[in-house]
Amino acid sequence: MKIRPFRLTMSVLAIMIPTALMAVIILLALYSFDAIRFNGLAFLFGQHWDLGNLYMDPVKTRGLMVPHGATYGVLVFIVGTLLSSGIAILIAVPVSIGCAIFIAEAVPARFRPYFSMLVELVAVVPSVLIGLWGISVLVPLIAHVIAPGMSAVLGFIPFFSTAGGGGSGLGLLAASLVLALMITPIIATTLLDSLQQVPREIKESAFALGATHFEVVRGAMMPMVRNTLIGGIVLGLGRALGETMAVLMVSGGAINYLPHTIFTPISTIASFIVTQLDSAEQDPTGMAVKSLAEIALVLFIITLIVNGLARLLARRFNNVRSA
Amino acid sequence: MTLKANSRRSMLLRTCTALVAVAGLTAGVARAADTVSLNETGSSLLYPLFNIWVPAFAKSNPDIKVNTTSTGSGAGISQAISGVVQIGASDAYMSDAQMKQAATIVNIPLAISAQSINYNLPGFNNVHLKLSGPVLAGIYSGKITNWDDAAIAQLNPGKKLPDHVIIPVHRTDGSGDTFIFSQYLSFSTPDWSNGPGYGTTISWPAVQGGLGANGNPGMVSAAQQNPYSIAYIGVSFHAQIAKAGLGTAMLENKSGKFVLPTPATISAAADALVSKTPADERISLVYAPGAMAYPIINYEYAIVNTKQPDAATAKAVQTLLTWALTKGNEAQYLSQVNFKALPPAIVSLSKTQIAKIGS
Repeated sequence: MKIRPFRLTMSVLAIMIPTALMAVIILLALYSFDAIRFNGLAFLFGQHWDLGNLYMDPVKTRGLMVPHGATYGVLVFIVGTLLSSGIAILIAVPVSIGCAIFIAEAVPARFRPYFSMLVELVAVVPSVLIGLWGISVLVPLIAHVIAPGMSAVLGFIPFFSTAGGGGSGLGLLAASLVLALMITPIIATTLLDSLQQVPREIKESAFALGATHFEVVRGAMMPMVRNTLIGGIVLGLGRALGETMAVLMVSGGAINYLPHTIFTPISTIASFIVTQLDSAEQDPTGMAVKSLAEIALVLFIITLIVNGLARLLARRFNNVRSA
Repeated sequence: MTLKANSRRSMLLRTCTALVAVAGLTAGVARAADTVSLNETGSSLLYPLFNIWVPAFAKSNPDIKVNTTSTGSGAGISQAISGVVQIGASDAYMSDAQMKQAATIVNIPLAISAQSINYNLPGFNNVHLKLSGPVLAGIYSGKITNWDDAAIAQLNPGKKLPDHVIIPVHRTDGSGDTFIFSQYLSFSTPDWSNGPGYGTTISWPAVQGGLGANGNPGMVSAAQQNPYSIAYIGVSFHAQIAKAGLGTAMLENKSGKFVLPTPATISAAADALVSKTPADERISLVYAPGAMAYPIINYEYAIVNTKQPDAATAKAVQTLLTWALTKGNEAQYLSQVNFKALPPAIVSLSKTQIAKIGS
């Protein structure tokens, strides 16, 4: 048999990525096995996270050695993650669509590269910088301007009222806005690329039929880039769900309670893992670190579900179009 | 033609330079065979002090190279146990259960740190309010919600405190500051001891309006940006606290007296517990007895394995730690981070522990 060095190298490289992914999942699952056994389903629905008294002798509970008084419930962090990413998407999608259409259609062709470069530039700003901007500019702005304003206008809806506290600016809204800023360029640039690839014939035919510019964009161009848009949203959502540092800096680090307004402090799964790891390492039974591994697994599963749903959605649209 | 020759010559020159450089490096490595490299990681509170220490230490000990990194006390302990680093820095001493798992590890105090309770209370930031463990426990568990609460008023007669909700700020990341603050609450308040207890992170009760902040800088800025807040901050951040214009509380000690964190009250607390410090030096200095004793201070520890990989490394660790306890405990280094020197009796206990380090 002939040896094909190129083919062999490429195959090895191609296999490496899925293998690494599988290894991460399997190791996480194995590592958190004890925690899954100890926590059971209460893990997902419990609101109370307590490492227990690490300075007392560990006790045997459900056949496993754990610190005295340890309980691990992560509902607060799951809710914080989904809410902040969800609100970020709600803000980012319309903004990105508007931004992409503006650059593709309204900006003169010779300035277009500069505009799209500006948007791409926002995408490469390190998240810790955005977090710093968040804590020094955005948070005081929310505390002094946005929160009182929103509360005055929308305060009749309990979710937008500052009456129950949360006037510090740190919290769900700050986290969502920071995330929105980070994912808008991702969605906008993917959308922009494919808007620019819409064949000229299609646009020209639509114009020839008497469509206005708005109708051309809405009726002829947007349906063609719908899949890209969904892809962009998935990418953005993936970044939002896993974002750690920027969120940590502005979220207010909630523990043991669920947010009841958009101004309440929250914690996300990723930022919680970072803040807890060091103390968890002091747990002589290792259950704390294993429980953190279990949260990581939960985050992974959430990301998988979100991805799967988006793919399903994309397929749905395709079927509708071809039908 | 000449141009080409020129460029070729410059290429040759560059190659030669590179070769010489590589040779120089190799020689450097060969010479470095006698030098010992030590790794330190852990507490972000001790990290600035190590960075002040290391250049001064290197001057008198050029053959020992010390690499410092800031990770966290938990990482300092676990990496010292696993052997990744020779010196783990920790604000908290190891628990009995941890000691059982790692019997060859010693906890060696290097210096004394303290913590202040700070508040941003408009109109009162230049007044030292009196606060006690039970009152702070009440605030952090949501039982005392307003600044004009009777429990606070009782400690501060004659001061008209505002009727405004208190914003308690706590650390979200694992921290020695949380450890000693929650110890103060635990030792002074049975309810807290039976509830959240103490640790480098604890399960904070849900308090309406309460905030989590990341790191001491995060604590300072959260307190600064939120009027009516209260926070616990490491004393090495004294300059930042002053710059933010925060008030510093007088805390009730075990003898019922109210004291500020000053060199005198910190030393008084440390001295009070010298005789109680066991040979392995694992002891909390929080809530020390004595009329002058400031209640929230702690030893900053080096976590070291007494079984080092080889004799040279063991010797280097001993040299570094002994230097830290003698020369390194001088005010010229410690005052830069507002730490205090160890009492002489503790230095000799630490030296006995250092002597156990071998290979």
